Amino acid sequence: MAASPPRQHRRPYRFLSHTADVGLRIRGETLEALFANAARALTATMVDRRRLRGTRSRQISVEAPDLEALLVAWLNHLLYLYDTEAFLGRDFTITSLTPERLEARAVGDTYDPTRHISKTAVKAATYHHLAITRVPDGWQATVILDL
Amino acid sequence: MAQIKLRQVDEYRWEIPREGKMRTRGLIFASKEMLPKIHEDRSLEQVANVATLPGIEGPSMAMPDIHWGYGFPIGGVAAFNLEEGVVSPGGVGYDINCGVRLLRTNLEREAIAHRVEELVNALFDNIPTGVGSRRKDLKLTVPTLKEVMRYGAAWAVKQGFGNAEDLAHIEAGGQIPGADPEVVSQFAMDRGKDQLGTLGSGNHFVEVGYVAEIYDEPLARALGLFPGQVTVIIHTGSRGLGHQVCDDFIKVMLKASAKYGIELPDRQLCSAPIRSPEGQQYLAAMAAAANFAFANRQIITHWVRESLEQVLKMGPRDLGLELVYDVAHNIAKIEKHVIDGQEKTVCVHRKGATRAFPPGHPEVPPAYRETGQPVLIPGDMGRYSFVLVGTRRALEETFGSTCHGAGRELSRAAAIKAAKGRRVVQEMAARGIIVRGAGRDTIDEEISEAYKDVENVVNVTHGAGISRKVAKLKPMGVIKG
Repeated sequence: MAASPPRQHRRPYRFLSHTADVGLRIRGETLEALFANAARALTATMVDRRRLRGTRSRQISVEAPDLEALLVAWLNHLLYLYDTEAFLGRDFTITSLTPERLEARAVGDTYDPTRHISKTAVKAATYHHLAITRVPDGWQATVILDL
Repeated sequence: MAQIKLRQVDEYRWEIPREGKMRTRGLIFASKEMLPKIHEDRSLEQVANVATLPGIEGPSMAMPDIHWGYGFPIGGVAAFNLEEGVVSPGGVGYDINCGVRLLRTNLEREAIAHRVEELVNALFDNIPTGVGSRRKDLKLTVPTLKEVMRYGAAWAVKQGFGNAEDLAHIEAGGQIPGADPEVVSQFAMDRGKDQLGTLGSGNHFVEVGYVAEIYDEPLARALGLFPGQVTVIIHTGSRGLGHQVCDDFIKVMLKASAKYGIELPDRQLCSAPIRSPEGQQYLAAMAAAANFAFANRQIITHWVRESLEQVLKMGPRDLGLELVYDVAHNIAKIEKHVIDGQEKTVCVHRKGATRAFPPGHPEVPPAYRETGQPVLIPGDMGRYSFVLVGTRRALEETFGSTCHGAGRELSRAAAIKAAKGRRVVQEMAARGIIVRGAGRDTIDEEISEAYKDVENVVNVTHGAGISRKVAKLKPMGVIKG
């Protein structure tokens, strides 16, 4: 049996330790992937993502003065959809991205306490220590969530 | 980053000397034992950063429950004059008017000891909790929501949630003046419209407990507290509406800081002059969100009363579920203070800090003119909470402010790890505390050892004279978000 090649790709996101809250360290080969992974990380903070079905979709567009602020605006818009429609995105496709504007399609589920394991409520994505940087294999972002 | 140097002032006070761009010194209330933990995060740097903001009056302060926040530290207190001073959404926090209220009863602990589980279940059924909790039976139209934001707890009382007597026992009467719902975004209103009367998640809770210890008999009596008495604590805030107002105005303030040439050591400190249109709009929107929070706690109080009446089959008169007090611990208030012998109007930011006005202060309700304003300090779900009163020393030294809670010791992830393989609910039950929560993680995150011992925090404020210990409350039953 042939040995499988070593897995090269990095984890799309991981949680950073922060006493009061939670930080996300997000990776993406492209900026589009970075933004999509950030959204997946947000959902994973709130619920067990694996139990989400792809039964609903939402077209989303957000604007901000710069790329970093756009990341915060994007995540906070997803929190808005959660609060107002109980919408939880599972898969995200970034259809258009400039430093000031993002358009995306989110496919996901309606939160249902009988089917989903709720984890932690997120109040907001913050600007605190917010950073998007180029790394050798793509992009990295750090964003801290207020819980 | 070099460690911030502290100079000891006395047993409970530590100073960050003014240097570099700081306009004033930093002043930290803490015991010597607390310092190593405080040095672990960057909260002292945040105290120093706040000291650089224009128009700051007195020192940039932090209470003993200080920890790393966004821009301002949690536990931070800072006052700014109205002439050059600024207002900052980061100095209030995302959960605008997160706060605590305490209810007392006529009951003794023994009378309900065998009914606690039933009580917890009734509370859990009657008060929506957890991630994205919403009410199906109380959806507000935009005009009604605007009334809630204008009138706060008074709106709730007018709808039959509680009585006029309650309003006299809430900070600012449950209605911050100057609220303008017209500057609250549609997004914020969308998030708030079916969240009124919900607890939310995180560290928010409703707790049935009892008076376990009294430190000052006459003060306790004046607050209507006696040993063994059943009490209820409610801890929640302005829900998604407040979070959205904060986020909306951080965006406004990022632009405003550049426009008014305010130099920021951290983006999250973004602010605007209090007198500027941006500053005034934030204060009006913040007041609207704060009033929503007062109404929220008022409505939850009504359901607490109903739950106890249902389970114990008692009328309101026998139950005697009366409001002791309700305090905000994430807020900015326009207040009059004496600074260097002169009365000045300032904007006091309390982010994870509680107002603690002394006896005789005009903003303290008549019932507490002799005692000072009650201050409610919740601890973790397994240990205890405290009732304090405000003091003259606090008014003179900290713009009438004290601590707000325990503060986390472990990150949420570390707490979940510590709870792994344990059955926290059963552990708590073995200690006589019934806990129900909406999510598994929320209970694990809130295990006692995840928090500092709130008694140490309270002892510093008592020792420093910025509040006085009245009573210790212990939990019997808790619902968590």
